[in-house]
Amino acid sequence: MPDDPFSLSDLARLAGVTPRTIRYYVAQGLLPSPEAAGPATKYGEGHLARLRLIKRLQREHLPLAEIRGRIERMGDDDVRELLDANTEPPVQPAPAATLAFVRGLMVQSGVQPRVAESRASYPRSGAIFEPMIPDGFPTPALPPPSVSTPAVATPIPSVAAPVSPGPLPRSAVGDRSTWDRHLLAPDVELHVRRPLDRQLNKRVDQLIRIARELLAEEP
Amino acid sequence: MTPTPNSDRLVDPALTVRRDRHLIRANGRSERYLLVDVVAPAVAPDPNRRRPPVNLGFVLDRSGSMGGQNKLGLAKQAVVEAVQRLEAEDRFSVVTYDDEIDVAIGSVTATPAERARAADRLRKVEARNSTNLHGGWLTGCEQVAEGLEVNGVNRVLLLTDGLANVGVTDHDELQRLAAELRDRGIATSTFGVGTDFDEALLQGMADAGGGHFYFIGDVAQMRDHITSEVGDTLEVVAREVVLELRLPESVRVEPLTPFRVDQRGGTVRVSLGDMVSGQAVSIVLRVTFDYGEIGREVGVDVRITDRDGAFAAAKPALEPVIIGWRYGDHAENDAQPRDRDVDRVVARLFAERAKQAAVRLNREGRYDEAERAIDGVRKRIAAYAGNDQELRRLAEELRAERPQYAAAMPEMRRKQVHYASSLSLRSRTVDGRAQKRS
Repeated sequence: MPDDPFSLSDLARLAGVTPRTIRYYVAQGLLPSPEAAGPATKYGEGHLARLRLIKRLQREHLPLAEIRGRIERMGDDDVRELLDANTEPPVQPAPAATLAFVRGLMVQSGVQPRVAESRASYPRSGAIFEPMIPDGFPTPALPPPSVSTPAVATPIPSVAAPVSPGPLPRSAVGDRSTWDRHLLAPDVELHVRRPLDRQLNKRVDQLIRIARELLAEEP
Repeated sequence: MTPTPNSDRLVDPALTVRRDRHLIRANGRSERYLLVDVVAPAVAPDPNRRRPPVNLGFVLDRSGSMGGQNKLGLAKQAVVEAVQRLEAEDRFSVVTYDDEIDVAIGSVTATPAERARAADRLRKVEARNSTNLHGGWLTGCEQVAEGLEVNGVNRVLLLTDGLANVGVTDHDELQRLAAELRDRGIATSTFGVGTDFDEALLQGMADAGGGHFYFIGDVAQMRDHITSEVGDTLEVVAREVVLELRLPESVRVEPLTPFRVDQRGGTVRVSLGDMVSGQAVSIVLRVTFDYGEIGREVGVDVRITDRDGAFAAAKPALEPVIIGWRYGDHAENDAQPRDRDVDRVVARLFAERAKQAAVRLNREGRYDEAERAIDGVRKRIAAYAGNDQELRRLAEELRAERPQYAAAMPEMRRKQVHYASSLSLRSRTVDGRAQKRS
């Protein structure tokens, strides 16, 4: 945001003080001197922030001398930081975090959509698993994980097509790993990219065992 | 901050700020109204300009009632047509829900092949059971999140003709989630079909979600409304526009228009959502002042920001507006001139809010209170109308409308009244579109 200079009267109005107060604070060293003197005197955002902080500290019944002691060595950024102490910066949307957030909500309330029809499209639309799954999955070479529809047989250009500004395509080549499918229950599969290191491999085996037991249980 | 493509081609943004009166009372509290008009920059004709990509998640109710009057058929048709307007840079997905949720089309890029396939897949969708609006909506959000375009317009279009009766159904919770998802980059627009849906819920989700609410009273309008919402996303020039006011911390600001407001210390931020090329929005704020010494001035600094810096980049550059009030004695205050344009907008706003309150009361069978809600506002407007023709007409309009609230209204009429008011409060045209600079 540009640092538009304020006139004395504008600054006074925005801070809710009189022009006389501002001159007094400058004289007392509570505010830095404005850039120029005379009718063209201009004050900046830093002055406004400092005035706001002074008013806030006054509401806490601090004497002016004490306030001066606190703020005179502070830079404009420190002042602003203190003013905004309880202000959270706006969240910038991050795709992976948003997806994780939505999935968290779905798990929490047991929302389990069926994706049978669209599953056939996973291999062509690389972005489906994008934020969660590492390189190599899915690839056009991989057979669809569920019953295939006739549409799958037709080769479809992947989203890696240069026109797409979407997430970067994952490499399907130059990577010797392969995806293993483990059937956990009649309608449930787990996909694992191998090779895995030994530690992880052990845990995945454990996961498969537990998952199969869990899914075999009578509801 | 990421600039939109060719943001230097954005022209003529506008910001005007007006007060109803310029003096405030030295002894006692004063309430004054502030009318802020914001016009989003328009896109200058430029064949090379590429709009930001859109990422749309259509969420369709296919509960049993949607089978009536071919509602589902028309909705599917509208989605197929809307999808044809997208380009290969865009993404879309379609989720259908009743008590179960199906991802009919998982998030895909809108290539010609995928657009053609959408029609095929949708043909298989048929109307069935009850309504898990929450689950369907979240699944739509998931589809949009899977291809979230950080620099694009990510929006879920949720359509229903019934009440949410499976999954989370609590209004406050659904609105809170919609607001949270908006902060995380996914907006929600809602479409209510017929007379059985809950407009407070759908309106609330759209307001909190940074999208728009559409009432489809006649199924024949379904296509128009869905098309116009999709068209809206294609025309967005500035995302998450915020009106920022800075003023002394002792001054209180409340919005009368239904935009989300956040007041921290001396800064008030009013979230206007995404704005399309040349869109005009009016915001009315009630400003409350404590007493003060005669002659002292209080001011507010008003400026516009948006996530893309589109307002900042547009030519000619917008100057922040500083507007002030001065403390005066009673005689001065009583004699001061009024800005009648501001009075008219404020009066219209109170009238629309009263109508919505009256509809709610009428639905609850509190007919006397419904009439009183209308009459109270009518009296206030009449009291300060003076010779102003427009204000007198407004008071007359309220007098003429009042009797309809005195007995049970047909639900269709209630929904129509509510919707007309809600469009007026949000600077949208009678058919639900963004108002453009006149």
